Amino acid sequence: MSDVLLQAENVGIRFGGLQALEALDLTVRDKELCCIIGPNGAGKSTFLNVLTGTLRPTSGSVRFLGRDIAGLPLHRIARLGIARKFQIPSVFPSLSVEDNLKVARWGAPSPVRPVAELLELVALGNRAATLAGELAHGQKQWLEIGMALAIEPRLLLLDEPTAGMTPQETLATAEMLLRLKGEFSIVAVEHDIRFVRALNCETLVLHQGRRLRSGPFHDIETDEMVRDVYLGRR
Amino acid sequence: MPPKACLPACANASPVRPDAMDFVVTTLLNALTLISILMLVGLGLAISFGLMNVTNLAHGEFVTVGAFAVYFVQSIDGSFWLGLAAAPIAGAVVGCILEFAIIRHLYSRPVSTVLATWGVSLILQQGLELTFGLGAKPVTPPIEGTLDLFFTVYPAYRLILITIAALTLLGVVLLISRTSFGLDIRTVIQNREMAEGVGINTRRTYAIAFTFGAAIAGLAGGLVAPLAIVLPQMGVNYLANAFFVVIVGGVGSIGGLVAGSVFVGGLTSVLNYQISPSLAQAIVLLAAIVAVRLRPNGLFNGASR
Amino acid sequence: MIAGDRNWLLIFAACVALATIYPLIADGYQLTVIRDALIFGLFAASLDFFWGRTGILCFGHAAFFGIGGYIMALVTLNDAIPFASLLGIMGAVAGAAVVAAIIGYFLFFGGIRGSYFTIVTLAMGVICQQAAVSWSSVTGGDSGLIGIPPIEFDVGGLHVDLSQDLPSYIFVAAIVAVAVLTLWSISRGRWGTVLTAIQDNEVRAAALGHNAPLRLLVTFVLSAAIAGLAGALYVCMAGLVAPDLSGLLLSTEVIVWVAVGGRGTLLGPVLGAIFIQRAQQTISSFNPSLWPLLLGCVFVFVVIVFILPDGILSIYARLKVLFKGRRRAQ
Repeated sequence: MSDVLLQAENVGIRFGGLQALEALDLTVRDKELCCIIGPNGAGKSTFLNVLTGTLRPTSGSVRFLGRDIAGLPLHRIARLGIARKFQIPSVFPSLSVEDNLKVARWGAPSPVRPVAELLELVALGNRAATLAGELAHGQKQWLEIGMALAIEPRLLLLDEPTAGMTPQETLATAEMLLRLKGEFSIVAVEHDIRFVRALNCETLVLHQGRRLRSGPFHDIETDEMVRDVYLGRR
Repeated sequence: MPPKACLPACANASPVRPDAMDFVVTTLLNALTLISILMLVGLGLAISFGLMNVTNLAHGEFVTVGAFAVYFVQSIDGSFWLGLAAAPIAGAVVGCILEFAIIRHLYSRPVSTVLATWGVSLILQQGLELTFGLGAKPVTPPIEGTLDLFFTVYPAYRLILITIAALTLLGVVLLISRTSFGLDIRTVIQNREMAEGVGINTRRTYAIAFTFGAAIAGLAGGLVAPLAIVLPQMGVNYLANAFFVVIVGGVGSIGGLVAGSVFVGGLTSVLNYQISPSLAQAIVLLAAIVAVRLRPNGLFNGASR
Repeated sequence: MIAGDRNWLLIFAACVALATIYPLIADGYQLTVIRDALIFGLFAASLDFFWGRTGILCFGHAAFFGIGGYIMALVTLNDAIPFASLLGIMGAVAGAAVVAAIIGYFLFFGGIRGSYFTIVTLAMGVICQQAAVSWSSVTGGDSGLIGIPPIEFDVGGLHVDLSQDLPSYIFVAAIVAVAVLTLWSISRGRWGTVLTAIQDNEVRAAALGHNAPLRLLVTFVLSAAIAGLAGALYVCMAGLVAPDLSGLLLSTEVIVWVAVGGRGTLLGPVLGAIFIQRAQQTISSFNPSLWPLLLGCVFVFVVIVFILPDGILSIYARLKVLFKGRRRAQ
């Protein structure tokens, strides 16, 4: 159990009368890649918010390296080594691409990768001086991944990293993540099946705030019930 | 520069001296006077600042304009009540012009709104000074006597003020909860796009709501005129206090407005007996800031900012 | 954004050169006029350092100017205090910084930004002025305190005495130049870049490990400290301190100086302060109550004309666009 990085146990969230999440468990080991999938409204983003400590669960607990992170200020969570990529691309539009990465590095307790390397990693080497606000949508997403990498995370949480991307960009993003696999743990929330298939990793399927299935992706993919949910038959 | 700090309502002009036993009742009534005024002034701010997200720094001038309306009518006609009827009209006219000429063009530019409305406030202040001349304007209350309330003797006019304020607030609550216009306002506030989708003219609704808030502030100015020092610069204190009310109480509900008014008005009234008015103001400011730190969404509110 | 570091430095150098030769062509009175205007320019730069970089408007900045002024006055008027000038300046800077730190702590860590911040600082200004008026045993009430001696101190065997026009002009001009240059290098470097990031998207900046409230607080405190320094310098040059110095009118005037001069440029606000005060003196000589009226119009005008608040420094660019548009229309 020593290599457990993030452990969510019996997490439940109630918004007023609505049970948004119920009895969810998730264990992320060091340098592991895993995906959380599910149809719209399954509670994926809510669960991710709980995992990053921004939302305090009404029941259960989330521990990062054995420490309860619920309710910690955002910057403290980041300094513990949890990086996050938001669903809506959120870069700093009035700064250049290079400055965006610099700001990210400055936030880290001990940045390692130089800006030039980060630029190459996210395929923006020739756009360093461009204002981030002027980038294409997919490039913004990559820049944001680059910013998350800059803080040298132990754990990278990605909220729909391929939202709004073309199929080519989606696959390029998957390759980008596979290259990074093994450096740190990655949890990706997605509903694009092609992307998850390309990653081919441990997968948790959510449905209406509960665990539907979990296991390696090729097992999940062939599961009748998961198919039903995705095709809207249930 | 405003020559003297003029605190709202009960801080100045014939203070009601407490005597031993009736101290509590008198303090309570003084506080109630101030709370009433703050609620009326704060209502318009809760609409514009809290709900439309417009920072209107000329809101204090609605109060001033209302007070000057009473002074003006009383000086030519002699009737306070006629003046009091003119006060909300004057506030509404100024508010309507302001909304039409400036604010509606700046909904998406908050800092510009702050600067422009402050400019308007300066223009109005100097305009009033050039029109009516320097110095405080006398306004006499319609009733001079006091009323024996068993526990204490209290000026009758203040009791009338409290009653009118309470009735006005009740009217506003009914207007918002029972009429179709109130429904429009609530819809626009909750979801602007949706409101436009179902055919509500949001622009018009905003304009009317804003004007309405200005009218109520004008009424407050008219009511307070006999108690306060009527000066072109009197508005800024009401502005600051009304903003505290909205910030402390939180936006989006009459309950928040009442809570904020009770907090600011109550604290000010109680402190005014112990210490100098400006120190009392400073303490209220600090208390308001601390309250916001502890309850960022207001004392009475779950709505996010 | 500051358009081109080189251009900025060139303009800065030109201003310094102008300030250096000015004593050769000006008489003593003109020197003191510019000296006082420069102090207000420093005050404007202090507001711009905060407002320009964070996008958060402080509507009571004169409170810090006034606090600095009153502390300086009280220290230098007290015969029992040795090294009064230096201690006074330090006290003024520290006093303004402490008040800003207390208020800023509650606001920034309470999540107060934008309009809410503007309102609370406005109230702070109103209260400071009220306090200056009504705490008359200390502040001298409405009429303030008079007879504040000029700055005088010894540093490393050098005796500095600012009772004469020329030395006081040089002293002030040097402080303003150093302060503006320092603020500029802070705001274009790492500190300023992160502030811009926070202004763009505070949550994102926090998620990258930046303590946004703390950074805003430190910026605000620094801004207030410089405003306090300007206040301290001013009262020594003017020889008196009055409640107006912490008042709402000055708070709003400084906003106009920054807005007209060009928010975020630091140098523009200094120039804005000098030119607008020049205009104010001319106008007030006709009718003193005309100035606030005009100031109000300026506010509305600034908003309407300078839709993107780049101020004086962007007039050239605007004219270019305007003429191009004309030509195309013809």
